[in-house]
Amino acid sequence: MRDGGVEGPLLPGWEIYHAVAVDGIVYVAANNFVYGATVQRSADGGSTWERSDPIEGLDKAWHIEPAGDGVLYLGGDPGCLFRSDDAGRTWQPNEALASHPTRESWNPGAGGLCCHSIQVTPDALYIAISAAGAFRSDDDGETWKPINRGIAADFLPDEDAEVGHCVHKLLAHPGREGRLWQQNHCGTYRSDDRGDTWERLDPNGLPSDFGFGIALDPADPDAAYVIPEQGAEYRVTTEGRLAVWHTRDGGASWSPEADGLPDPAWTGVLRDAMCFDDGGVYFGTQSGSVFSTGRGGDWREVASQLPPVCSVSAAEL
Amino acid sequence: MVSVVLPSLLATQAGGRRRFDVDASTIEAALRALPVADLIFDGSAALRPLVNVYLDGEDVRRMDGLATPVSGGQTVRVVAAVAGG
Repeated sequence: MRDGGVEGPLLPGWEIYHAVAVDGIVYVAANNFVYGATVQRSADGGSTWERSDPIEGLDKAWHIEPAGDGVLYLGGDPGCLFRSDDAGRTWQPNEALASHPTRESWNPGAGGLCCHSIQVTPDALYIAISAAGAFRSDDDGETWKPINRGIAADFLPDEDAEVGHCVHKLLAHPGREGRLWQQNHCGTYRSDDRGDTWERLDPNGLPSDFGFGIALDPADPDAAYVIPEQGAEYRVTTEGRLAVWHTRDGGASWSPEADGLPDPAWTGVLRDAMCFDDGGVYFGTQSGSVFSTGRGGDWREVASQLPPVCSVSAAEL
Repeated sequence: MVSVVLPSLLATQAGGRRRFDVDASTIEAALRALPVADLIFDGSAALRPLVNVYLDGEDVRRMDGLATPVSGGQTVRVVAAVAGG
């Protein structure tokens, strides 16, 4: 979408799991069931695209995270992480993750064994894989430490397991070092110590422990937005009610924002189909609608009749 | 020269060109000459499982596969398999 209007499709035939713009260039994690996974980049707002060099070992491209100075990270299936130092033209695998000693205990979630969350902060690199859990690197990707203590994993026989957790989305707050938020298969969590310990937040008023997307307000480290779903076996909005649940106190309490959203609505919001920009949240549904709002305002449907929305990002181009 | 004809998605990725005339003596060489070779071959240098290649209408998997010889005037057609309905 540009200036409120829908353009495209810009890259027809490709499933775009994630799109992000940095320095005027749009990068997309692009997948095709015949031709495989790749990263495509466009310097002209999507009119023309350049495909990256082949990325060996990548079955599906899930998420692209810019790290500044032309550096990008790419997460994908099977539980893999790549780094590009040339603005997405070539990609090198992270060997430490590929040979992680816990790897045999990882299992694919419903979407595969996907590295879907990558966060770059001044003192650490974070990733999350479904279903392996969250990991932190304090040495720029040379080693990875599981950071899943205190996270529920109802589907694992060992409740104290170090890995095997099903993170659905992990975000680091850009304004408070060490503060992480995650929406998990089994709850919503916040950490204030770089993932060493987690506080469970969904019992504080959320209608379920399940969901995918999460969005943060860069200006307020205590604010977060989630869209709860009924549960693992029934992945639609809780009780047919589409609502964005909002906390302003670090997850101590939650309240729904639903004015302007369709009611009832049985739909879902995928993990990268939600973002915060310019004072408001944007999200897209699996039933092909995109909604936006200002902070606290009514929701507006800004696009409809699309295929399932995998990724929502806001950018100036 | 051998003509290689691409399906629409690959043609888009090849800069909008649907037909390429290449100088090649095998199917593999003809496909390797394309700017979309990375989308046709997987990491082990085999054809991706859902990519079918026909030489003058015959499936090369029933011939000598990628080693099938080609000669001037023949047409190689790349087709994405229909899977799953």
